[in-house]
Amino acid sequence: MKRMNQTTMRRLISIGMLLILVVLFTILAGAGKGKFFNFDNLIEVVRDASIPAIIGVGVTFIIITAGIDLSTGSMMALVGMTMANIYAYTLLPFSVMMLAGILVGLLCGLCNGIIVAKFNVPEFIGTLATMSIFRALTYIIAIRDANGVIKSQPMNHSQYTWLGTGIGKFYYVIIAMIIIVAAGQITLKYTRFGTNLYSVGASKKAATLSGIDVAKTRLIAYVITGFTVAIGAIFTTARLQSATTAIGMDFEFNPIAAAVVGGVALSGGSGDVIGTLIGALFMATLENGVRKLSINTAYQYVIKGAIIIAVVIFDATYKARMDRKAREEGAKEGLE
Amino acid sequence: MAGNTLIEAKGIYKSFSGVPVLQDVHFEVKAGEVHALMGENGAGKSTLIKIITGVYTKDDGQIYWEGKPVEINSYQDCQKLGVACIYQELSVIPPLTVAQNVYLGREPRKGPFIDYAKMNQMTQELIDKYQFPLKPTTVVDNLGIGQRQLIEILKGLSQDSKLLIMDEPTASLSGKEAEMLFKIIQKLRSEGVSIIYISHRLEEVYMLSDRLTILRDGKNAAVLEKEDIIPAKVIETMIGKVVDESAGSRKMLHSDDNAEVRLDVKNLTDKTDRYRNISFQVHRGEILGLGGLIGAGRTEVVRAIYGVDKAASGEVWLDGKKLNPSPKASILEGIGFVPEDRRNQGFIPLLSTTKNVALTNYDIVKINGTSISDADELAMSKRAIEAIDIRPSDPNKQVGVMSGGNQQKVVLGKWLMRDLKLLIVDEPTAGIDVGAKDEIYSILEDLAKQGVAVIVVTSDLQELLRVSHRIIVMRKGDIVKEFKNVEVTQSKVLSAGQGVEEEAE
Repeated sequence: MKRMNQTTMRRLISIGMLLILVVLFTILAGAGKGKFFNFDNLIEVVRDASIPAIIGVGVTFIIITAGIDLSTGSMMALVGMTMANIYAYTLLPFSVMMLAGILVGLLCGLCNGIIVAKFNVPEFIGTLATMSIFRALTYIIAIRDANGVIKSQPMNHSQYTWLGTGIGKFYYVIIAMIIIVAAGQITLKYTRFGTNLYSVGASKKAATLSGIDVAKTRLIAYVITGFTVAIGAIFTTARLQSATTAIGMDFEFNPIAAAVVGGVALSGGSGDVIGTLIGALFMATLENGVRKLSINTAYQYVIKGAIIIAVVIFDATYKARMDRKAREEGAKEGLE
Repeated sequence: MAGNTLIEAKGIYKSFSGVPVLQDVHFEVKAGEVHALMGENGAGKSTLIKIITGVYTKDDGQIYWEGKPVEINSYQDCQKLGVACIYQELSVIPPLTVAQNVYLGREPRKGPFIDYAKMNQMTQELIDKYQFPLKPTTVVDNLGIGQRQLIEILKGLSQDSKLLIMDEPTASLSGKEAEMLFKIIQKLRSEGVSIIYISHRLEEVYMLSDRLTILRDGKNAAVLEKEDIIPAKVIETMIGKVVDESAGSRKMLHSDDNAEVRLDVKNLTDKTDRYRNISFQVHRGEILGLGGLIGAGRTEVVRAIYGVDKAASGEVWLDGKKLNPSPKASILEGIGFVPEDRRNQGFIPLLSTTKNVALTNYDIVKINGTSISDADELAMSKRAIEAIDIRPSDPNKQVGVMSGGNQQKVVLGKWLMRDLKLLIVDEPTAGIDVGAKDEIYSILEDLAKQGVAVIVVTSDLQELLRVSHRIIVMRKGDIVKEFKNVEVTQSKVLSAGQGVEEEAE
């Protein structure tokens, strides 16, 4: 008899969790206009999930290498504020403004990568430090009024804000998310770089012995995250039609949470981008449902945190059990 | 079949900080042979292999590959020649498939994408050629340790390796997995692949190898052809005839059966079958030596007695009282435990002698109001330092910077502060210099004189004979032999551990 492999099993579990949540909210909040289960609301959920999912692609790459990035929220603010400066003080075309934003994202990712992969600063503390630095830089370059007080910079030119809309209800951010998630999944599963990410996460020693450049692989994962953060920043500012220093505050939790719920193990070496997408949809559904049930939003954070702890505990015990089973069965079967 | 010389190491010398580890060693492997390498712990096997694989640099000597002199300065160098090392500590990547692991870092590509069809087909061809029980598309997560090891072998073969080095490959395999590996080894040999097979297990060496090189004390002791690989002879060669006759390697054991039983272990059985139905007793004032090969289950048994790991079934009685083993209960009952992995489990390197000694003794250190009495803590560590001459004698010295012998004394010292009934020491003198070894032996002997029951687990035969009053030998999780009130030699202990019946002398 063939046993289902752990990855497939974990995928079914995260899809199941998402479906249970949808059914639960449909029962509690009801179906129909203005309620939880209707097309308009569900597409809102997907829209809300898009930016965590886009940035989640990069963060997934990093977590697969057994790393972490706590700086994505601050990085998003810095990219947004860079673009706001170009918007406010230059007449450069919007395409150049966006390219500059992407460049800042790549540079931030490169900084993280160098700190973590070249200087071997532990990921957690390295990106915690850059989280602080990127946020501070955002304040430093923030647009100020005549009295020197930081103000929100409107970015409401229609040649830019169209990005915050869509073709009818199919928001461009959703389309971008689908493209980036697909590209991420293909990179992960069908290129050497993708395989290298898994190898580095599972065993740096084995990866090195197989001739894989561990430092380079980790560095590229951080640079890719910088790119996805920049894309996220562009869609966020286009939707808000402004840039503020508060953009992305506490955001870094979201892509990490999405990845964890979607089955990307924090210990590295497993999970994929589709899993993170499911995780992002789960978190967005949770937020939306809690809103529709008019529950105090503070509870949302309690629920989110509790779910993550539960998932990590489940993964650890489940994995230990499955590994033991696999070893035992492997020792028995297929040897004749 | 065995043909020309594939690799030859001539006149190899290596020493570490002045201590010679290899002296004028000669080692040769022919094409298509399984060449076993044996020797007691510290005979120089792993040093020799590390020189061949470029991990260590030799002090003198020359290595020849297919007759030509070569320099091997890194593992990559030896890979390029066609040598693959199958690591004990497996280095496969669990989330990837068999084929992805075999071609890791060398995946065939079509444009930017991995050509999975081709990669799986190439892997299948290798699997078919050597008849491995594997499928290219299976995710490694779902495989047992034996199969994971085969992936490593396959990886070596995919790089056209002509020589595979296997270091204790059966150490973590089940019986069935080991049988599969033996079949594969025979298949590889018939395909002309050479194998260096390092093992403590004589029966495997006996069954598999074409030739056997034995090292003793860093020198060549013998190279035996297949027909000369006779267990008794191998053991004699490993120990050395001369040595076996000498004082340190034979001993008349004396133990007193009438002494009161302190520890009584009844039918101790492991959850994962690493030991089963272990029953023995240790008497007041007796030092019991626990011998056997590495992996025989000795450490697991003593850990279960102390209660670090739980046994599945069985009972532990101390002074007529049934225990429910856990470290805390054991300490309170008067059991001391000196673990095998001193640095990670024996003491806290960053703490001082005082704190390390006090660590297991806070129940007997005086309390001033709500805080521990520093003075009493200090007095205790001074007593320990005095009693067993710990150096440096500064009680505030960090234990991490002390010599191995003194670190071990700190570990022992904390137990001496208690009213001990039983002391368990696992490999008490590993990595400790000769002088300190003697001091540790006399500490153990003093304890025994005071009536403490002592269990010594050791792989060092000389040590086993030196300290034990009685010896039991374990093999593959069972007690196979007890030496009591008889004359025992290193060969006899080793033979029992190997499962070799010694011929009547």
